[in-house]
Amino acid sequence: MADALIVVALLLVAASATVAVVTRDPMRQALVLSVLGVVLAVLFTVLQAPDVALSQLAVGSALTPLLVMLSVRRIRRRGRPQERER
Amino acid sequence: MNGWTFAATVGLAGGLGTALWGVATGPLRRRVVAQNLSTALACPGMLLLAQGYGRPAYVDVGLVLALLGPVGTLVFARLLADELAEDPPRAWGPTWTVAGLGAVTVIALCVATGPSRAMVKFLVIGALLIGGNVMASRALSGGFRGVRGG
Repeated sequence: MADALIVVALLLVAASATVAVVTRDPMRQALVLSVLGVVLAVLFTVLQAPDVALSQLAVGSALTPLLVMLSVRRIRRRGRPQERER
Repeated sequence: MNGWTFAATVGLAGGLGTALWGVATGPLRRRVVAQNLSTALACPGMLLLAQGYGRPAYVDVGLVLALLGPVGTLVFARLLADELAEDPPRAWGPTWTVAGLGAVTVIALCVATGPSRAMVKFLVIGALLIGGNVMASRALSGGFRGVRGG
């Protein structure tokens, strides 16, 4: 019966990872990636590895989306025509 | 499996499943709200797991989640400000529902532990969770537009 929690966490990880792959827009993908980080942290806690969950939270819930969003913003700003003329 | 882990299983499966559905479909404003609520739903689940496994050290995961969850949402609120300004998300119903769930969880854990240092920690986590969640929700709906920098 204790395996139910592990099964739930694994299913959530599989579903959110699939959604992250299927989503095409990078900004929406960053949102799904952030949720995937939280779900992975839950999985690591359920598997009795809270130290791994802590580092996964720090990297997955804030840092990875920040990097993705910053690079998307940079690319879009460079792609605008009025910026290209400068 | 005791009552605490059962509650954590139900809460995590229902809450994170709903948040995943919200973040996968719909317009952008619904996705940001779902991302905000996913961290606010996972934190009480972590606290319940720590109690269920009988390991107070696991509470630290919930504490870090309560701290970093609103930070992640503020990243999106700042960098998606232009897209969200045209169609601002207004989801105070779900926000207060999730905040109430967190409050109920923290109060139940406080009653179970009794007055001690662990109870103070639970109260701090609860205050961080609800305060950060409401602040992030307000930032998403454009409440801090006046203080935007460059």
